[in-house]
Amino acid sequence: MAISKIKTQITFLLLVKIKMNLMANILLNVLAAFLVGSVLFGLQRKIIARIQMRPGPPIIQHLLHTFKFFIKETVFPKTAAMPFYIVITIILCAIWVAAVIVGPVTEGSLLILFAIFAIHKIVEHNAGSSSGSPYGKLSCVRAVFSAAAEVPLFAVLLIIYLQTGTMNLSDIIAYQDSNGALLFSIPLAAMMFFVLILSKAYYYSPLNITMGKDLVSGFETEHFGMLRGFMMISESIAWYMLLWIFLTVFIGGLTPIGYIVGMVVITGLISLIDATTPILNPNHSVMTQVTLAFIGIVGSIILIFYL
Amino acid sequence: MDKLKNIGWLLFIISVVAISYALILNPASWIVYTISLVFIPLAIISLGLFSMARGRKEDEEGKRKEPFIGY
Repeated sequence: MAISKIKTQITFLLLVKIKMNLMANILLNVLAAFLVGSVLFGLQRKIIARIQMRPGPPIIQHLLHTFKFFIKETVFPKTAAMPFYIVITIILCAIWVAAVIVGPVTEGSLLILFAIFAIHKIVEHNAGSSSGSPYGKLSCVRAVFSAAAEVPLFAVLLIIYLQTGTMNLSDIIAYQDSNGALLFSIPLAAMMFFVLILSKAYYYSPLNITMGKDLVSGFETEHFGMLRGFMMISESIAWYMLLWIFLTVFIGGLTPIGYIVGMVVITGLISLIDATTPILNPNHSVMTQVTLAFIGIVGSIILIFYL
Repeated sequence: MDKLKNIGWLLFIISVVAISYALILNPASWIVYTISLVFIPLAIISLGLFSMARGRKEDEEGKRKEPFIGY
């Protein structure tokens, strides 16, 4: 009896949007984004390992790694551009906290979220260049190169605007409530966004050239110890936000359980692709994304105006 | 390294005070956003600054004398 009461209460808390203090709302959402993002990264590793016939690490391994790095000895490289080498990690965290505020907390404008993606690219570039490591520097050059692959991002924005007439997340959710999920009306835009998510996947993504294994850990190679832990927190929030935006923009406002199921499904799909696809070289990665963007843009415009 | 630890504690206390202010007194939205953007990252990094392990004193000299091979 008591258990069923608790269950009812938890369901109530999850399903009803409680009006709470703004700061508490932000803190809870940032914490949820970090925890869910970390576990999803762990899940990604687990699925990849199982496909490759390995037992793989536990699902909470990414989370454990994050905490572990906080208690490791941190030494700052002689070649690091101080204080920028440290400040860039703070900027990385700040932009993803901003994304949480614009996304789940206020359901604000998509334009700001996409500006955050653009800044993330700049942060990758600067984190790589500030370390003084050749791996970081190569990753920094690749971050500039892969900016061309951000074309799908702006194309998605344009197509969503053409279809719904708004850039506001709450209006997009309302539009989908009355007209059905955008996933079915503009599927090619969803495909482009999915490619974008794939290009930002943390482990063995065929398209993520800034984190390619040929560069050890890319732009964060020389950020270790607590700075690496700090960056991993931001990246977990970033992964959660990417999936949150996809689900919100293409399926609509879901319940928290719906979001978690959706995130697990997308992470599973991404892991399947990561485990079975070779890591592309930078030219192929960018050209693949640009080609898919071209197909997506032309196809979506035909779908919207001619069908 | 002790200097870093002190900076870590100082930043942590300032961040906790700022976040508590926003939690308890519920100021205007733009103030809460500013506090979130500045003090949540600072609170996390300050945790790292005072929780990270430190190398042994006797190893420090050796680390400094490590020849820099250049890139």
